[in-house]
Amino acid sequence: MNAISTTLRPAELEWELPERGRVAMFALIAAEAAIFSIFVVAYLFYIGKSLSGPLPAEVLSPPFLYTICLLSSSLTIHFAAKRIRSANVRSFGAWWLLTIILGAIFLYGTASEWHRLIYEDGLTITTNLFGTTYYSLVGLHGFHVIVGLLGLTTVMVFTLFGTVKQEHAERIDVLSLYWHFVDAVWIVVFTVVYIIGR
Amino acid sequence: MSMDTLARPDGQTKKTIEMPAPTAWPIILAFGLTLVFAGLVTSSSVSLLGAILAMSGAVGWFRDVLPHEKHESVSAIKTISPVSTSRPRVAAVEWMTEELHRARLPLEVYPIRAGVKGGMAGSVAMAFLAVMYGIISGRGMWYAINVLAAGFFPGRHALAQIGTFQWDSLLIASVLHLLVSLSVGLLYGATLPMLPRHPILLGGLVAPILWSGLVHSFIELIDPLLNQQIDWLWFALSQVGFGIVAGIVVSRQQRVPTRQHLPFAVRAGFEVLARIDKKDGGEPR
Amino acid sequence: MSTESIAWPSTPVESRSFVDRLHEWIATVDHKRLGILYMIYALVFLMIAGIEATVIRIQLIRPHNDFVSPQVFNRLFTMHGTTMIFFVIMPFLFGFANYLMPLMIGARDMAFPRLNAFSFWMTAFGGLLLYFSVVGANGLYGAGNAPDVGWFAYAPLTSRTFSIGHSTDFWTLALLVSGVGSIGTAVNIIATVLCLRCPGMTLAKMPLFAWLNLVMAGLVILCVSPLTAAQMMLVIDRYLGGHFFDTQAGGSAVIWMHFFWVFGHPEVYVLVLPAFAFASEIIPVFSRKPIFGYPVMVGATVAIGFISMSVWAHHMFTVGMSSAANNFFVISTMAIAVPTGIKIFNWLATMWGGKIEFKTPMLFCIAFLFQFLVAGLTGIMQGAAPFDWHLGNSYFVVAHFHYVIVGGILFCFFGAFYYWFPKMSGKMYSETLGKLHFWLFLIGFHLTFDFMHIPGLLGMPRRIYTYEPGRGWDTWNLIVTIGVFFQAAGILVFLGNLIWSYFRGKVAGNDPWDAWTLEWSTNSPPPVYNFASIPEVKSRRPLWDLKHPDDPDWEYE
Repeated sequence: MNAISTTLRPAELEWELPERGRVAMFALIAAEAAIFSIFVVAYLFYIGKSLSGPLPAEVLSPPFLYTICLLSSSLTIHFAAKRIRSANVRSFGAWWLLTIILGAIFLYGTASEWHRLIYEDGLTITTNLFGTTYYSLVGLHGFHVIVGLLGLTTVMVFTLFGTVKQEHAERIDVLSLYWHFVDAVWIVVFTVVYIIGR
Repeated sequence: MSMDTLARPDGQTKKTIEMPAPTAWPIILAFGLTLVFAGLVTSSSVSLLGAILAMSGAVGWFRDVLPHEKHESVSAIKTISPVSTSRPRVAAVEWMTEELHRARLPLEVYPIRAGVKGGMAGSVAMAFLAVMYGIISGRGMWYAINVLAAGFFPGRHALAQIGTFQWDSLLIASVLHLLVSLSVGLLYGATLPMLPRHPILLGGLVAPILWSGLVHSFIELIDPLLNQQIDWLWFALSQVGFGIVAGIVVSRQQRVPTRQHLPFAVRAGFEVLARIDKKDGGEPR
Repeated sequence: MSTESIAWPSTPVESRSFVDRLHEWIATVDHKRLGILYMIYALVFLMIAGIEATVIRIQLIRPHNDFVSPQVFNRLFTMHGTTMIFFVIMPFLFGFANYLMPLMIGARDMAFPRLNAFSFWMTAFGGLLLYFSVVGANGLYGAGNAPDVGWFAYAPLTSRTFSIGHSTDFWTLALLVSGVGSIGTAVNIIATVLCLRCPGMTLAKMPLFAWLNLVMAGLVILCVSPLTAAQMMLVIDRYLGGHFFDTQAGGSAVIWMHFFWVFGHPEVYVLVLPAFAFASEIIPVFSRKPIFGYPVMVGATVAIGFISMSVWAHHMFTVGMSSAANNFFVISTMAIAVPTGIKIFNWLATMWGGKIEFKTPMLFCIAFLFQFLVAGLTGIMQGAAPFDWHLGNSYFVVAHFHYVIVGGILFCFFGAFYYWFPKMSGKMYSETLGKLHFWLFLIGFHLTFDFMHIPGLLGMPRRIYTYEPGRGWDTWNLIVTIGVFFQAAGILVFLGNLIWSYFRGKVAGNDPWDAWTLEWSTNSPPPVYNFASIPEVKSRRPLWDLKHPDDPDWEYE
């Protein structure tokens, strides 16, 4: 059995606190997750409540290819962040560029799907409840992809100019956290919209 | 060591401290974003202006923090006066051991079993008074028991039924009575050391009368029929009987010391306490 | 090299021009200045929303009064509610958190000083945008028109059909803008508490103030975000022709209620947790005892944080939910009374056996204890669904939540103002005026809100602009309105005290209360860098350790 004393004498202070950027990003991700969850709840609540067509089963098909693109970009950004920690800037740039390209492909996928829905199937945000909830939820996610791509591109530009160095690894880690979040949200959106919603 | 770090007037040796430099970019970004939204309710040109402002704010902010955060050096020359108090003496409580330690009030409380005993004794007193009332008023000795259980049997308000023996009423009333008595007794034991003066008077007289008044005003709203069946004078009387008996029983019990100064793990029995002698260099023995 | 070296101006304040000083305040990223900006901003809006409340009460002083028109009355109660919640109490609590948090945890600034400035200005511009509607919104009559849909803006009243013009848009957009600011500040508070504590201050050795504000910031993140999402949906409905809350197209009005109250109820705890934080700092100091049951207080705070996320639909018992939902929300509502009750008992136990000094901050906190208890009890009454079916949307509800917000939260804020005024200004407030404020406000508060319960029980619905005589409401409404004037007088005394003391008050010194947390170890007002050298702490009451080196706290924690 342990014996402990009532007078506690603190050991030599080892004082390490979490890094503020990561903590703030996690807090921001919590806030964003709360926003998304409200939109997801609205989507789930309104499944099958549209008074007129077109309905999800008629017009939606799961975009597997683009989904794979977006999810694999999580991997590539992870590799990129690993490279910058070991000061391998050239390799970092390559992985980073690949991430941007994969993200852009996904965005193109969303855009082409919207184009088809609007011009071929006649589904707009005003058509019915499905249109309202679908465009809001997927659009909100798309907006986050755009913001993420803007951030990634900024880093890319500075990488090309050679100002990104190993000392920025912390910040790049924080940015990649955000990108992982955007990908994780897509898993939820994909499940809700293309699997449950149909 | 660390204790005088606070008090040491560091300012004597002049030094500079890096603080974030003031910047107007955040307010420009905020104003721009607000204008973007304000444009929705005014005109799109406002939104455009807002977007331009927001962009420039964001870029300016970015250049403020990257590649290096802007700082300004502030010279810390003010001397910081040492921390002092007008009340240097600490009132120490000599209690139980000679060891110097803090007292956590209350020093002693009634044990849980005191509350249980008090509650049970009170319940007997109360039951006795209630049955006495039934007999004296001529409504039958089962009257109070049936009224207590009346909430469970909405139909039984007829006077004929309410004075007679009913086994289900007796069962429910007994359980209710014992449960409530037990919890009131525990509450009694817990709060008695905190009642500042005349604990028996407060707990035995004032609280039951307040309680009776509260129940009186509520029953009238909740169940007017039941209300007619209750003699409020006797109701209050039996509450007071409970209070006084429970109070006397609890206050006659032996108090036990609290162990609040010990760490939780010790109180929970996970660890045992080893005495420490400061002269021996603080080694547990 | 972009690191600028600007020597801090050592010249006295008077020699700088007004424009220079204004620029200093506008471009500041200093947490203390931003905190003060938050508070001044909140005080201005307190005046505005207070005047709105006074006009509402004058209109209701007697039956068939026509002090204001029904349309103006609707705008008044909408603006009063929205302003008080979003632009008075939220800025107050962010202001105090901003000012005190780095000082209490031994840091030099918040974790993100520029984000801090940005968040403040977002909140500030949000409030200005809301009030711009008074002149800028095209309402039903083409004239300037404030929002008039009530502070919870139930659908479908907010649809284009029923709310013509832009007044509702102003409401939505103002809350979106200020919501961004709130989330920014909350992120900042969390990062500050977790990342900037001085050496030795583990989570278990933080002042309770820091704990409560940490939980508050977490709640802001989890509850203001749903509001932001709901406002986005409303904007989509109103601008892009969406159908989220459009019952004609199969949309649901009830889901707006859910979304709003998912925000709305945790919001109450966002507002009250800082009040608890003030009480947890003030009561021990004026009782000359450490806080009773620190770990339990922390646990209860976290429990409140969690439970408060699951009680929202007790605002909706009257809309006809399933009985399973009713039962769940009744039980969770009852459950939240437990941690709150623990807190009240712990404050009482802190006072018990202490050498209580009845200074103005302590008076406000004692009044808070009693009033918050009553508010909690009426809350439990309405938390029972059957009782709520009777009282829902009546003046009883209005009395209940004003008891919480004024009697609980505002009293604590006043206490905090008096307690930390010497630290912020360097001057001592006038104790006489402070006590006068306390008693005036106490009398006014009880005249108004005690008697407001009764017309509610007698069936007076909220949000009516006038009423018929002879329903038994007349006398009560008269008393309620009379109380308002006492409260207004109290507020004026309060403001007068602040201004007079700032210019004429006695010099307070670093530590006027003989207190125990770190902010009292530095100068009053603190220098821009807070601490010349970062302190190191060993217990929850670092200043106690310094003042009583022979009997330090850390030997017992």
